[in-house]
Amino acid sequence: MLSTIALDTQVLRPGLCTGCGACQGLCPYWSSVKGRTVLLFDCERLDGRCQRFCPRMPTDLDALRRKFFPAETILPEIGPYRGLCLTRAADPAVRARAQHGGTVTALVELAMKEGFIDAAVLTRSHGGLDPEGVLAATPEEVRQCGGSSFQIPPTLAELNRALKEDRYHKIGVVGTPCKTLAVYKMMANPLPDNDNHAGNIGMVFGLFCGWGLDWEGLRDLALSHCNLNMLSHMDIPPSKFHSLELTEYRRSVSVDLDEVLPLVRPACRACTDMTAEFADLSVGGARSANGWDVDKGWNQVIVRSEKGEALLKLAREQGVLEFRDPMEGGLEKLKKASLGKKRTGVKAVRDLTGGLGYLEPSAALFENL
Amino acid sequence: MTANAPGTAALMQGNEAIVRGAVEAGIHFAASYPGSPSSQILGMLGKIARERNFYAEWSTNEVCAIQACMGASFAGARALCVVKQNGLLCTADALHCGAQQGVKGGLVVVTSDDPSAHSSTNEFDSRWQAQSASVALLEPTTMQEAKDMIPYAFELSERVGQIVIVRLTTRVCHGRGCVTLGELPEENRPLERVREWDRMVCVSYMHGPMLEKLEALRGAFNESPYNHYSGPEGARDLIVAGGTGRLYAQEAVKRLGVQDRVGLLSLGALWPLPEDYILKHLRAAERVLILEEVDPFLEQGLEALAGRERLSLTFLGRDHGALPKIGELDPDNVEKAISVLTGAPLPEKRLPEGAGKTPLPVRELTFCAGCPHRATFYLLKKALRQEKNPGIVVGDIGCYFMAGQSAGQYGYQACNCMGSGVSMAEGLGQLTHYGLDQKVVTICGDSTFFHTIMPGIVNAVYQSANMLLIVLDNSATAMTGFQPHPGTGLTAMGDRARPMDIQKILEAIGCEVEVADPFETVQAEKTLRRMLARRGMNVLIMRQPCATLKTKERKGKKPRVWVDQSRCIGEGCGCDKHCSRVWGCPGNTWDFSTGKAQIDPVTCVGCGVCAKLCPAGAIQVEGGEEA
Repeated sequence: MLSTIALDTQVLRPGLCTGCGACQGLCPYWSSVKGRTVLLFDCERLDGRCQRFCPRMPTDLDALRRKFFPAETILPEIGPYRGLCLTRAADPAVRARAQHGGTVTALVELAMKEGFIDAAVLTRSHGGLDPEGVLAATPEEVRQCGGSSFQIPPTLAELNRALKEDRYHKIGVVGTPCKTLAVYKMMANPLPDNDNHAGNIGMVFGLFCGWGLDWEGLRDLALSHCNLNMLSHMDIPPSKFHSLELTEYRRSVSVDLDEVLPLVRPACRACTDMTAEFADLSVGGARSANGWDVDKGWNQVIVRSEKGEALLKLAREQGVLEFRDPMEGGLEKLKKASLGKKRTGVKAVRDLTGGLGYLEPSAALFENL
Repeated sequence: MTANAPGTAALMQGNEAIVRGAVEAGIHFAASYPGSPSSQILGMLGKIARERNFYAEWSTNEVCAIQACMGASFAGARALCVVKQNGLLCTADALHCGAQQGVKGGLVVVTSDDPSAHSSTNEFDSRWQAQSASVALLEPTTMQEAKDMIPYAFELSERVGQIVIVRLTTRVCHGRGCVTLGELPEENRPLERVREWDRMVCVSYMHGPMLEKLEALRGAFNESPYNHYSGPEGARDLIVAGGTGRLYAQEAVKRLGVQDRVGLLSLGALWPLPEDYILKHLRAAERVLILEEVDPFLEQGLEALAGRERLSLTFLGRDHGALPKIGELDPDNVEKAISVLTGAPLPEKRLPEGAGKTPLPVRELTFCAGCPHRATFYLLKKALRQEKNPGIVVGDIGCYFMAGQSAGQYGYQACNCMGSGVSMAEGLGQLTHYGLDQKVVTICGDSTFFHTIMPGIVNAVYQSANMLLIVLDNSATAMTGFQPHPGTGLTAMGDRARPMDIQKILEAIGCEVEVADPFETVQAEKTLRRMLARRGMNVLIMRQPCATLKTKERKGKKPRVWVDQSRCIGEGCGCDKHCSRVWGCPGNTWDFSTGKAQIDPVTCVGCGVCAKLCPAGAIQVEGGEEA
């Protein structure tokens, strides 16, 4: 099948597109507007990078992770695992802009300073709205990208452009699970006559993700509850709060989650990865016995690779991160949450496609959830 | 064209023969709106108008043209109106009212039909309009007849005080033949002052006199020199031919060897039907084959006539399966029909050695190299694909009609007649107030803008439709050959006029107007997307002169455009022949031996847009001067 038609019919139309941008920045045919991936003109190639990289085109996930991670480190519930810890950035200035503890910003800055990476592709937003992919080449630029957004920009389009430019040779990537999966597909599955300079990818930082939201829907929702110019932060606390918290200057506005859930992107409902299993390090909001008021200033980090482990060690040695002991049973809690997403994800894929769809080559992973 | 050399033979195109006929008829006035296949007529008339002391104009549309002719006729002028099939339909109201009011000076309408729609969007048969409006109709077959019928038509028109229609078809307009010239009048007949109690008014009590005028010509047509018969007396197999059918029939009858048993009745003066003349031949016949272009006009008339006279005849023609129901006549389908009529076997077709072996390459209609419309439709497709819901584009008539194909990225979903786009879009645009959540876009050219778009714009503004009109301002009536229109600052007779400013007109009407250059692709796309987001009646003028016009007027060297073969990634992922496959300019070609893009230096006009769009930055533009 022609590349663009394959993506159009198997990913876009069924509502599986995550908007990650892996198909973009490569050619004149794919683009994105407000989180919507758009096909501008048809391409008639039978094979192409877009369909090879797309995280929602069929992938043998088990084979892919075995290619990059030792089998003995792989946990069925959360993927490659070398350790779990609770951290936050030591620098309060980093934490001030951060979604939770500022761990990712601090780690990316450190990775850049220590030569793990020479540039980073990140997402920058304005109080959680209108995010865009950014290629940062200095720690200062990295710091501008603190904080998350529930609108999902095509950040990987920026990665593709940076790879093509071939100016940086160890590019770090920060992204949600769909994005980091695409990055591993880029490294594992290059097009024979065009490797997309995948060797220029240096390190991958995964972000825990529940789901992304409809771009315009979230904007309208936020607008109905606060002044967008004053909006500085958006977060979803643990499920018992059942809310979306908007921070407007110093005031906090709580929006009932029932207003938010209809905005969840269909593609995100069909996702089975909560912890960004393809990454060197995966980072999310902390969950501990101390409660949300404390946790919201901290992160939990899954160490997945040796490189990730080395960077984290350096962060501890240099005092870039502060560490706290993980909660007892924290790993089990994480596994349970991750499994929960896998179950609902598989069900959504079945509802959308009538089968396992893009998960088909990995059917064995999803048999006994 | 203006040589006073009676008896001299000249090789003429049908359109030229019409011009010569008009000069011989001593016309005072000519008006037209361009339309293939008769666009050349007024262009030529404009050039000789001063010399022959008459007035010629490219009217803003066909209604203006025919009504101007009626005005001229009121002062005793001989007036010639030239339209194509669709143009005649535009004039329908004026024509029907004109027929009731009658004319003073002769008024001849030359209408050209385009069977098989070679250079039209459709095929129509003008003859029904003559029947419907109750005016006389002539149809020439040869170039000589085309010339001779014009003075004849004026003579008939003045004889009964009624409009006369002369119907041409593409092969007559564009065919060439020998024409023996007639005499030119010393000077035109003087005009007549319109007196206080003169009347030329369309009112219901003129209906009766109108029918009487038509009936008065029936007798003349029974005797008309343009109706004639050849073949054996009392032939049982009869061919009745109007227009081109006659020549095809003469050929086929010879080839089939049935000259001695088939009669050929040719009708050049065919409405009102010369019934007595036709019946004379019909009574002897058993089988009748009708050869005519487009619709079974004569066929139905003759069947009705035969029925009224209780003749038991077998009819063959477009209504009876002997000829295809649509499309133009040609030597092959006429020969086949005559073979059916006579039972004579079809001669075996012998093609010259090698002929028909190599299939002709399939070529789609496309915009010229460097055409600004290509850029506009490329950007429009791109912009609409970025909308949340797919937009609706309503096309219109002009070169940009081709945008419905790959040339314009399959750019529109609907297209009715000339001037329809803005109002179809207005209808859709109103529904955006009622839940239709799509962007509505329509397109028109600058000539079409003046032709029929303006009332639609007034309507859309006044009724607050949400829509975007894109005016493709290429400063030309390009489709039909660069005839002047009110935006160009030129007239048919070569005079300068003050050009109408489309932007000012639009602003005066109350539209939100912006101007973009489609060759500045990034900026133009931004403007386009910004305008798509707006409510109300928005107009984007895409301003860039027609490439053909620019090439004609270019004084300096054109820029050299070439493909850096080392940078071109051809069919590789990231391009896939974007220039030749998607952009699709005829100047962007493909080197099959190297698998790389190239530029055809002959076709390329040097606009350089493909270089802006090349994903590999492989297309280079060097030097040259702006036209």
